[in-house]
Amino acid sequence: MDMNTENVDGITVALPSGRLDFGAAAAFQQQLEQAVATKPRGLVVDCSSLDYVSSAGLRVFLVAARAAKAASVGFAVSSLKPAVKEVFDLTGFGNVITLCADRAAAVAALA
Amino acid sequence: MKTASWQLPGEAGQLPNALGFLQGFWEEAELPAALGFTFELALEEVFLNVALHGADSSRVPSVVLELTACDTEVVLVVSDDARPFDPLTLATPDTTAALEDRTIGGLGVHLVRQMMDTVTYSHEAGRNRLRMTKNLNQP
Repeated sequence: MDMNTENVDGITVALPSGRLDFGAAAAFQQQLEQAVATKPRGLVVDCSSLDYVSSAGLRVFLVAARAAKAASVGFAVSSLKPAVKEVFDLTGFGNVITLCADRAAAVAALA
Repeated sequence: MKTASWQLPGEAGQLPNALGFLQGFWEEAELPAALGFTFELALEEVFLNVALHGADSSRVPSVVLELTACDTEVVLVVSDDARPFDPLTLATPDTTAALEDRTIGGLGVHLVRQMMDTVTYSHEAGRNRLRMTKNLNQP
């Protein structure tokens, strides 16, 4: 899995791509924690290029959401592909993590 | 009907190989890509449960993956020779808990049960055997 980050008006946008499975989870977690540590106004994970997530991957979203909350950094996830969205829905993660239809909506939600 | 089976060590580092076996079967049997996600997820969750929780310090469990595809359904069986354990007895995680109270334990099995049509456990000839099926007509 690859991940790029961009900065949009003081909000960090992370763009993971490919598969977020057990093997990719640790590096993804480290990258999100580093992003939180820079104390941006908000952190958006744009999942438009994310094809796969397992429970190991979900755990990283949970850890990142908690880290962001503890650091008073807004956190939102956007642009989930249908199969990935189903995993969020079946586990109720959409109830505790802000999910937005697209990146613009997520940035707006944290602005 | 197409079938394939493969034996491999139940170690987390083997996950990419297990996945490669599944993907190879998917291409060969010309199965729908949309259904591949469900089976890749099920394979990861079940295989890692064995690799991370089924192993004791003295021995790596042996895992056998069996795939069967016919016109109506796809079946994945994951069997292992670790200590007897029925993952279907794991408590259903609370999917309504607050952010602070969320745990990941049991979430993988929960996902597998939700996404597959049937999931059954048996213990036969010294092996745990988890059988998962998905109807091809209701992707």
